[in-house]
Amino acid sequence: MSVGNTSFPRGKAAIAGIGCTEFSKNSGVTTFTLAVRAIKAAVADAGLAVEDIDGLATFGVNDSISPNVLAQALGIQNMNFFLDQYFGGSVSLSVLGAASLAVSAGVANCVVVYRALNGRSQVRLNGANAAPSRQPWDIQFKMAQGYTIPAQEMAMYARSHMLRYGTRSEDLGRIAVLSRTNAVDNDRAMMKGRPLTLDDYLASPMVADPFHLFDICLETDGAVAIVVTSTERAGDLPHRPVKIQGAAWGGGISMVNNGYTDLAVSPGKAVAEKVYANAGIGPSEIDFAEFYDCFTYPVLSQLEGYGFAEPGGVPDMLQDGIFDRAGGQLPIQTHGGLLSEGYIHGINHVFEAVQQIRGDAAHRQVARHDVGLVTGQLGYISGYSSACLLVGG
Amino acid sequence: MKEHRVKPIPNMDTAAYFGALADGRLMATHCGDCSHWTWPPRPVCSRCHGENLSLDTVRGTGAIYSWIVVHRSTTPDMMEYVPYTLALVRLDEQDDIYIPGRLLSDVEAFRGMRVQADPKKIGENIGDVIWKAIESDLPVSP
Ligand SMILES: [Zn+2]
Repeated sequence: MSVGNTSFPRGKAAIAGIGCTEFSKNSGVTTFTLAVRAIKAAVADAGLAVEDIDGLATFGVNDSISPNVLAQALGIQNMNFFLDQYFGGSVSLSVLGAASLAVSAGVANCVVVYRALNGRSQVRLNGANAAPSRQPWDIQFKMAQGYTIPAQEMAMYARSHMLRYGTRSEDLGRIAVLSRTNAVDNDRAMMKGRPLTLDDYLASPMVADPFHLFDICLETDGAVAIVVTSTERAGDLPHRPVKIQGAAWGGGISMVNNGYTDLAVSPGKAVAEKVYANAGIGPSEIDFAEFYDCFTYPVLSQLEGYGFAEPGGVPDMLQDGIFDRAGGQLPIQTHGGLLSEGYIHGINHVFEAVQQIRGDAAHRQVARHDVGLVTGQLGYISGYSSACLLVGG
Repeated sequence: MKEHRVKPIPNMDTAAYFGALADGRLMATHCGDCSHWTWPPRPVCSRCHGENLSLDTVRGTGAIYSWIVVHRSTTPDMMEYVPYTLALVRLDEQDDIYIPGRLLSDVEAFRGMRVQADPKKIGENIGDVIWKAIESDLPVSP
């Protein structure tokens, strides 16, 4: 399928409801309970009932609860669609995209996309306690060397960008500060009320040089659920429909040997071209963006890959406030992102984008909020990525 | 040999590779039809998709492309080395093969630093990659 493909069912499916639990360091309940609570909240927000759900879709690489178990527990007898995709943030938006395809094709009427994890209190994603036999990707070939944590790998790519473009620690620090600034007044954020300065960032301990502590996102317990139904049906429900205008799968640069020789090039570029083509929307038409920010550097790399900056151009744009929530041309990470709101593996980005497009983001509300870009992990480690373009109906 | 707690679990595609590392040799999949190298070892050539493959020893030399300095490790076997440098080395055989490993060097890492693989045994028939600076190739300090 070429980049120029335009057969995506643009805007035929829409997000009608969103729900979440508290984001915390210790939920005190199981992933099962978290998922149930987020799903109930999301269907209630949509003006629907649990009985209306006929599809469940999730993903996970560490802690998770599968759709079949949830469907049984919720007494759903008429499941028309389910998806339980292995992997992490790189597939976070592919799951939403798949739900939109299922609904657009008429396979299912109401698919709930969810992510639930006790990522801090139960199953931490630090590599060392991951069972190697379950890892289908290349961790087998780096684990013994102590190269196991995603932070280490992304820091390796950040270094390659620094060597190529002169990117500095303070440039990454400005992304951490921007995210924190947007989280400080966000009631959902784990970092609510805890501002961060560039000096704080620079003084924070090195974890994997060039990454400081504050280049790294927050391990989190929590769940988010998103209700996807037809745009036609969503029009009869309480909220402004948030149409899934385009979704894309692909791109990415894995550790080795897939033909890439310049690791400073954004692996987000390939999936960006696809999501723009599928949605029929380009970067100049996008009002705000929620980039997958497991670390600071991927935000910089995606700003390049998604066509918002020339390679090496992000540091000046950060200093000029281009990406600030208040008054920036392209507000990003309007809730504080994974770096400062919480790490619900990217589904919390969808929650925030929906609030923004509805105009329900209160004091976080950006001025222009009809078209939002939400991305998955840009495609390091796994070798593939995903993204969705959301448009107000 | 120091037996590592965190080790790969070799399978039919990888046992010979990890065993060779334990014997001090770095290998990669080599295509008998198109000569393409594939690393990590795979059951298929990533260029021509053929299966006429052999696991061949590489020269083991390359240049550092990128590196990090690990200040916090979650790998129990590596904690004694903290802080240690992990180098991503572009193999001389082919420019899209990057192999990570701990760097042994008296000078700080830099892009282009010439290194030689020095694999170490970490378990029964299992080894890992360590990179050693090639002293004679280091720039002379002024
Ligand atoms: Zn071949």
